[in-house]
Amino acid sequence: MPSALRLCSILLAALLLTAGCGSDDRADTASDDAPPTPSESTATAGRTPSQQPTKAPGTGAKTVDIRFTGDTVKPQDSAMKVEAGQPLTLRITADKPGELHVHSTPEQEIEYAAGTSERTLTIEQPGLVDVESHDLGTLIVKLEVR
Amino acid sequence: MVLPLHGLGGAEDLPIPVGLAVAGATAALVVSFCVLVLAWRSSRYDPVRPGRQVPARFTAVVDSAGLAWTLRVLGLAFALYLLWALVWGPDLVTNPVLGTFYVLVWVGLVPASLLLGPVVRAVSPVRTINLVLVRVTGGDPAAGLRTYPARLGYWPAALGLFAFVWQELVNPESAYLGSVRVWLATYLAVMLIGAAVFGDEWFARADPFEVYSSLVAKLSAWGRDDTGHLVVRSPLANLATVTARPGLVAVVAVLLGSTAFDSYADTISWLRVVDRVGLDPVLVNSAALAVFCLVVGVTFTAAAMSTGVETTGPRAVRRSALPDLLAHSVIPIVVGYITAHYLSYLVEQGQTTLIQLSDPMVRGDNLLGTADWSVNYFLSFNPSLLAVLQVLAVVAGHVVGVVAAHDRALALLPKRHQVTGQLGMLVVMVAYTATGLYLLMGGF
Repeated sequence: MPSALRLCSILLAALLLTAGCGSDDRADTASDDAPPTPSESTATAGRTPSQQPTKAPGTGAKTVDIRFTGDTVKPQDSAMKVEAGQPLTLRITADKPGELHVHSTPEQEIEYAAGTSERTLTIEQPGLVDVESHDLGTLIVKLEVR
Repeated sequence: MVLPLHGLGGAEDLPIPVGLAVAGATAALVVSFCVLVLAWRSSRYDPVRPGRQVPARFTAVVDSAGLAWTLRVLGLAFALYLLWALVWGPDLVTNPVLGTFYVLVWVGLVPASLLLGPVVRAVSPVRTINLVLVRVTGGDPAAGLRTYPARLGYWPAALGLFAFVWQELVNPESAYLGSVRVWLATYLAVMLIGAAVFGDEWFARADPFEVYSSLVAKLSAWGRDDTGHLVVRSPLANLATVTARPGLVAVVAVLLGSTAFDSYADTISWLRVVDRVGLDPVLVNSAALAVFCLVVGVTFTAAAMSTGVETTGPRAVRRSALPDLLAHSVIPIVVGYITAHYLSYLVEQGQTTLIQLSDPMVRGDNLLGTADWSVNYFLSFNPSLLAVLQVLAVVAGHVVGVVAAHDRALALLPKRHQVTGQLGMLVVMVAYTATGLYLLMGGF
């Protein structure tokens, strides 16, 4: 009986490893070999389509349009994929100055003035990074950094 | 208000690949089935296996008053060092109090107890303070004004654990010293008053850190035999020595439910729900945290009771006693999931905290000589390896949990219910593991 159990666990370990490696390979080829497509940079969660993060045409850099009006910000609770080390441009339009918190490791803070301004953000370490409005306490975009 | 992840900031782990999560869930399912049909048919761990006694000289050192007092003094000295930073240090996220409280103590107690046994009990500053107070007044630390009521069991610890996870995961002030001061002052008061009333058994039933650590320590190799000798036995045999007390289900439900809530509360879908509900986010998150813990507790209780039992004879057991008698089997599932959830956080935020500990006033000191260390972010830079480790931890915890539940079921259930009586437990355990893996997948 214990030998049957042992056999069972060896089979499982093998299954787990093959499945794990297989899925990793697929993920890698999808992100490394395929050229970045517009759909990849489209936010999956922007509330209004016009406010979704868009990819600047012809460049490797991605841009997020962030618009503050009164006590609201667009986009809110959106998601976006970026590559580690790839610069991300934040185009911020605001009616009053404020601060963004980028919960990367290490944490980053971005101050902006009233009016339209651009800030570049680079995240070196893979992970999920929340970009939040310090003043409103809302999540603007969750970056999936790979 | 966006709640900071795990109480402190920083990036979170990437979601694990779907294929890996599916493989993990499949493995959990297959193992569960294998255990049910192929594993042993009579209990191996009930009655308790004696284990192998360690050399007498080693036991003498472990049980010596010298070692006990060395550990107590170290624990108390460390607590006083942190008290300095807590009371007089600046209210910054780099104050080492925060990293010590949320990372080194809360998360670190799991690997420490797995390796060394019930460490919190040995170093607990509240135990030491109580012991000194009692000695000074010439009393007996074990004697209180009243006997601790057995029916309370672990319920005070379950409440204390809930208070901790609420502070960590829901309180929007969690990363500010003020809230930590209030929490720790309340903890100290409740511990010392309880110990004065009930004697030092109170710490073993009510101190959230000690109860958590002592339960995880049952998965270590270190145990005691009937005569109190230090023994080494297999973690599965050791796990079977957990004493079923009222509230044990609540303790494991809070640990597992809150960790699942921590994963879920940071998903975009949950943040949108909170926005849409429009109520105070603290209220919504408090309710959600309670619901997560309740769901674990209720599903486990229902599953454990979904069997026939013997009402007379040597195997007679009340059905309502089954959930606490089986709850030890959730401890490995908790440990596996916590490992997956907190591994990179403990390793990386833990290193950061060790560096910060040299500078409790955040003014550039290097009191402990760790200030010039740098953090190794190897795990975060190797997300594929991290994902494999996470899934292995979850599946390993599941396997140990299923085996422990199987073994206990064989000891408790009558022959004719031994297979069907385990099905409910298997279903909830697979559900916990699959949900855990789904949440590690990011769920958005």
